[in-house]
Amino acid sequence: MMTPLYKYGFFGEEFSLLVAFALGLGFGFFLERAGFGSARKLAAQFYLYDMSVFKVMFSAIVTAMLGVTYLGWIGVLDLDLVYLVPTHLGPQVVGGLVLGVGFVVGGYCPGTSVAALATGRIDAMIYALGIFAGTFAYAEVYPAIKGFVNANPMGQVTLPEVFGLPWGLLVFAVVLIAVVGFWGATKIERWVGSRS
Amino acid sequence: MNLRQFTLNRKLALLAVALGTLALLAQPHRGPFVKLDSRELAAVVEAEVDHVTAPELAAWIVEGRADYRLIDLRTAEEYAAYHIPTAENVPLTGLADYPLLRNEKIVLYSVGGIHSAQAWMLLRAQGYEAVYFVLGGFDAWQDEVLFPTLPADADAQARAQFERAAQVAKFFGGEARIGVAPEAGQAAAATAPAVASELPKLTAPPPMPGPATPVAKKKKKEGC
Repeated sequence: MMTPLYKYGFFGEEFSLLVAFALGLGFGFFLERAGFGSARKLAAQFYLYDMSVFKVMFSAIVTAMLGVTYLGWIGVLDLDLVYLVPTHLGPQVVGGLVLGVGFVVGGYCPGTSVAALATGRIDAMIYALGIFAGTFAYAEVYPAIKGFVNANPMGQVTLPEVFGLPWGLLVFAVVLIAVVGFWGATKIERWVGSRS
Repeated sequence: MNLRQFTLNRKLALLAVALGTLALLAQPHRGPFVKLDSRELAAVVEAEVDHVTAPELAAWIVEGRADYRLIDLRTAEEYAAYHIPTAENVPLTGLADYPLLRNEKIVLYSVGGIHSAQAWMLLRAQGYEAVYFVLGGFDAWQDEVLFPTLPADADAQARAQFERAAQVAKFFGGEARIGVAPEAGQAAAATAPAVASELPKLTAPPPMPGPATPVAKKKKKEGC
């Protein structure tokens, strides 16, 4: 059997929505399990005394990357068919900063706010209202900033293509960065913890 | 070393490093599906930088350039009968598995040029950057390189160009033709199959022994 299953027509639109629902439930469950249903835990990341967000997210990246790498290597997954969000470097840097500011101020990122909403947190409900307000505001100003949003298009690019490096070397490098990052994050936690 | 002294997190980190190290050898599996940048390809075609002309290719071969791969997409029989010097015979369906590098300059030709233009699209879609086809294909090679014809009403500049073309034709074992009036040119076109049968024999001393010899020549010069 070859994947991606949906693109190869193994199941249709309706079933793909069910799959998405199951994946969403799993995502929310593990966010809650990691403690990310609490704005305190998430805000702690930015004060550097609890680096859980960094560790959990980077673990997820490494796990998914290794899974995709090996599935692509043994020929189960055709990597060329995996959808990638097209890269627009400038606009995405600005977008990332806007999201980061919202993360610090609101205490959630969009995904964790939904998980927190499901457990009945009132601050997450306020945050969700903010998401809706922001979405409507963006839609209203979109015509004015359309040119910038679509600026410097690079297409669906991957790091091996951008740097011209072998695919396997980049996988190895990301794993190393993660492991060194985990070690450094624990050091920072201890250092900040000892000061307070 | 006892694994039990490690925490679960450290064991997982070790596993990730092990899998990451093994992944150094990984090659992505490529299915038959490709993606292409339609705007980029349209711009390349519009700018007419997707092809070389037959006389340009002939000049490369005369110069002994070895920085390109020439791919003959015609049948094996046609290839055996005659092919442009330095060409490799690859059928269109075998192109995907043929050992070409993505950073090589690849020049394609077929009989009339349609198959080579289609192969150009397939290779570009697979990420080969420097792909070109011979404009007009093998027909153009015959008409413009092997058997160039000088119209009777040609001016001085055209005659000078023809002199050079005639030398190139001789180099490749062909023959230049002079003096068909434009009206008679159509009649001459009708006898084109006769021209095709006169293709230089490959068994005769090869018109151009491939790019290896010029390199050897250069070495000799260095020796002097």
